[in-house]
Amino acid sequence: MNVRTLTKMALLTAAALILGFIDSLIPIVPSVPGIKLGLSNLVLLYAVFYMRPAEAALLMLLKVGLSSLLFGNAVGAIYAISGGVLSLFGMLLMHKIPGISAVPVSTVGGILHIIGQCVAGCFLISVQPVLLYAPWLLISGTATGVLLGIAARAAFYGVERYERRHGT
Amino acid sequence: MKTLTTANQRKWNWLLTGAAILFAALAVVVCLLLRPKAGSLDRFVIHYGENETLTVPAWETRTVVIRDGALADAATGEGEENVIRIGNGEAWMEHANCPHGECMKQGRLNETTVASRPLGTWIVCAPHRVYVEYLGENG
Repeated sequence: MNVRTLTKMALLTAAALILGFIDSLIPIVPSVPGIKLGLSNLVLLYAVFYMRPAEAALLMLLKVGLSSLLFGNAVGAIYAISGGVLSLFGMLLMHKIPGISAVPVSTVGGILHIIGQCVAGCFLISVQPVLLYAPWLLISGTATGVLLGIAARAAFYGVERYERRHGT
Repeated sequence: MKTLTTANQRKWNWLLTGAAILFAALAVVVCLLLRPKAGSLDRFVIHYGENETLTVPAWETRTVVIRDGALADAATGEGEENVIRIGNGEAWMEHANCPHGECMKQGRLNETTVASRPLGTWIVCAPHRVYVEYLGENG
């Protein structure tokens, strides 16, 4: 990993942590725990589109590990890692489709993140409460996935225009 | 250019997004069909620690303190602590020092609220792995 990539990784990790913290301050549905905007996934989406898969995976692990250490606990980390791994795997696979934009990639990522967390929940709690939880989480995961995808697509358009103009 | 797409690609992108939304909608329907139905209230079962449970009759008045995955005599605010109150046929998470305290916002679990609560027959404190389950006469 060269200095440029290392600096980029450090900046993106810091951005993901700040966005994750802001996310935790915004209550969506207080009576259903776990529903979040997932703002830090914007950073992960950037990594999927503009960095190598191994770098995106490292960024996801850093994001999950550090945010669990700073704002969560070990059980939260298990949910985050199972959702994160499945979501990243799906997004990297989707990204291989030629001409694909951030919207479907982010939507699939959001849905897979919830499925990963539900699988972890089946092992940590039991199937019954997960079945009660899952519809709410799936609806919110899909909606936030689409919205974040639209936001990311606009941001990537700006990034690409900047890169074209400055030749970086 | 990775994100500047042609009209055909844009159509394909929205089609893929639609397919993902349809998949999620089907999963929601399956989960709703498999959702357990709650009968008339009989008891509350508190799950904690490594698969341990405590059953409390629904009409008993009791305060249950769970600290670091084990039953405790009184709340001290130390360690991973949850205080569950049961009384007059309802249960609620009175106090928890988990991150964000989302379990305390889940409200009271009783015969009236069980049908309308998003988490139905459960109060869930995922970070501390403490769960309160509503059980009917037929279990």
